[in-house]
Amino acid sequence: MSIRKGINYPYGIHVPDKKQLTCDKVIEKMPAPKKVYVSMSQHIGAPAIPIVNVGDKVIKRQLIGEASGVISANVYSSICGTVTAIEDIVIGNGQKMKFVVIENDGGEEQQFFPPMEDFSPASLVERIRLAGIVGLGGAGFPTAVKLSPKTQLDTLIINGAECEPYLTCDYRLMLENTEDIYRGIKYTAQALGIKKIVMGIEANKPLAIKAFEKYDDLDVVVLKKQYPMGSEKHLIYCTTGRKVPCGKMPFDVGVCVQNIKTVIAIKHAIDDNKALSSTVLTVSGDGIKEPKNLRVQMGTPLEDIIEYCGGKLDGTVKVVAGGPMMGKAMTNTVAYTRKTDSGFLFLTQKETSLVSSSNCINCGVCAKNCPMRLMPMYIESYTLAGDYAGAEKYGAMNCIECGSCAYNCPAKRALVQSISLAKSKIKEMKTNGK
Amino acid sequence: MENNLFAYSSSPHAKKPRTTKNIMIDVCIALIPACVMAVVYFKLSAFLLIAVSLASAVASEFVYYLIMGKNFKQIATEFDFSSCVTGLLIAMVMGSQTPLYVPVFANVFAIVVVKLIFGGTGKNLVNPAIAGRVFAFISFTAVMASGWILPSISAINGGNSYDLETGATALTPILSSGSLPQLSNLDLFLGTGLVGCIGETCKVALIIGGVYLVIKRIINPLYPIIYVGVAGLFSVCLNGFDFTYFLPSILSGGLILGAIFMATDYVTTPNTFLGNVIYFAILGLVTTGLRVATGMEVVSFAILLMNLFVPLIDKFVYPKPFGYTKAKKS
Repeated sequence: MSIRKGINYPYGIHVPDKKQLTCDKVIEKMPAPKKVYVSMSQHIGAPAIPIVNVGDKVIKRQLIGEASGVISANVYSSICGTVTAIEDIVIGNGQKMKFVVIENDGGEEQQFFPPMEDFSPASLVERIRLAGIVGLGGAGFPTAVKLSPKTQLDTLIINGAECEPYLTCDYRLMLENTEDIYRGIKYTAQALGIKKIVMGIEANKPLAIKAFEKYDDLDVVVLKKQYPMGSEKHLIYCTTGRKVPCGKMPFDVGVCVQNIKTVIAIKHAIDDNKALSSTVLTVSGDGIKEPKNLRVQMGTPLEDIIEYCGGKLDGTVKVVAGGPMMGKAMTNTVAYTRKTDSGFLFLTQKETSLVSSSNCINCGVCAKNCPMRLMPMYIESYTLAGDYAGAEKYGAMNCIECGSCAYNCPAKRALVQSISLAKSKIKEMKTNGK
Repeated sequence: MENNLFAYSSSPHAKKPRTTKNIMIDVCIALIPACVMAVVYFKLSAFLLIAVSLASAVASEFVYYLIMGKNFKQIATEFDFSSCVTGLLIAMVMGSQTPLYVPVFANVFAIVVVKLIFGGTGKNLVNPAIAGRVFAFISFTAVMASGWILPSISAINGGNSYDLETGATALTPILSSGSLPQLSNLDLFLGTGLVGCIGETCKVALIIGGVYLVIKRIINPLYPIIYVGVAGLFSVCLNGFDFTYFLPSILSGGLILGAIFMATDYVTTPNTFLGNVIYFAILGLVTTGLRVATGMEVVSFAILLMNLFVPLIDKFVYPKPFGYTKAKKS
């Protein structure tokens, strides 16, 4: 339809985007590994329940973990082989989760869903639920639940901002799988009964903007290059001018936001009858020999990915799952790719900061840059003093943990850490009825 | 598999290189032009003042931490140069003939009592340099009031800022008798022929330092401009709306030094933009008001006073979160 500029939002930061490491690299399909470790917790909510036993033969895209509630998702095998173990493993970021370990037998067999017969919203949502699709931007909220709102929505927003530095997987998909994305968007809109589709793309991706120009029914919005433009609330404001009230969700303002990878997964589930079993991610940072964009089978060990990318260099001091602003650090390389992974970064001393924190000097930079207009320094000091009610007063619960405060902090305070502690304590207090 | 191979911390993992130390070093750099002009105008005595003040500031921090049981290496790595800023600023606000023990006492008080006892950089309630200056002013009133000499370069447009008989400075006529000083605005601006503390005479040097801080994005230029502007305009009001008073009142005394380097200290200013605008505007009013009421140069007292109101401003002025809606009455 048209290309227009997004609404200007004055609060946010500018982070060097470092995307040049991988932005010109075509997505490579990494060969299936010898063994995959498929996690049963690849989404928000209850873990899936394994429905296979040790010794079972499974084929690719066979259901191996069943959703255990409404807020949960199915998990499928990503290779053909034999289940060798079902065990709890502590991964590099300290989380413990259940894995189904499958040894590859090199088979090519695949299971497909039966072709769709009717394309009514209800059956589209059912297929999306069945295929185990969750929000692939990182949150991992089951997409089928998101597509069944209680009220009628009027706008679908596709998040092509990809504001995290380093990550380029969404960008590459926008260039290489443009048609798939478009089909996925149409199905999503159909499932929601929405006509108006807005696609937000950051201005630093001119090729992606060009790729979507040709679709008449997409309203492409060019967003200012600013972090955190991909945050749901800010994306909604900059594309539609609507403000999501504090404590409310996008559907309260009639909007549904979907990620690029999610709509591609929707397309594959509906057109190609495929369950979600692989993911596209960016392997980057100065600590890896050959930064790459990769399509990997779910459950691929990080060690195999490192090897495929030429190995990691000695200067690596930090390994991060996700982007540098919101990703999780890992103490070792025990990790297996999950649906929600968007990248693995190998950061050298120069790229990250290991400076220890000093006293807050009240400079106010955190508050000046906070995209949610909070007072991070107060929330932090109230939290450290154990006064969570005080932390709540200064907006702790509205924090989106984007890291803009701590990025700029000259005293290198661990602001995000304190605020997320405050959030969990406040939630705890509320569930316990104070 | 070995554990703990890599650094672990909460996000974000990318951070801006700027640290507290970098900021303090930049403030020191911004003070260099003023120090150079002080030495040009007041020769060796200014140099000695700066050297002694700087050394005593750094020494008091080291000695305090050594007594508190930290080892030397640890103190050196944690040293953030904020006491260098304090030391330089205290030298800037001394008359050139001040005996050298005065800045030493002022620095020990500023660093140890005002800053370190309260918890170090960031925890002080008032600006250490200001507190040190006020401490010296009150404790050594006679010594500090009699140390004045003319700078080495005399006034371009003739006239003299200082009546050696009565001890009146350029500011005094505006304050007490409602008449303009003898010096031209240009002389006040350059500090030529102007008697005053070593760092506050040459406004050009101070403004160059201020521009450096603005370019480095350490201070918001709006804040000192609001302070100086409000102070000048209020003085115009008090003198029957005679705008010829505007420039002399902002160019004399320590207003420019205070506005650029002392009032903008992060620790003792509000945390929000709006809070700062309120703070600097009130500061301007208080400064001129006190100047007129007391007939003395009171920039440091005004800043000291307003520093104490910062927590109050911060208590009431903070932004509403994005998407804030008024709570419905139930």
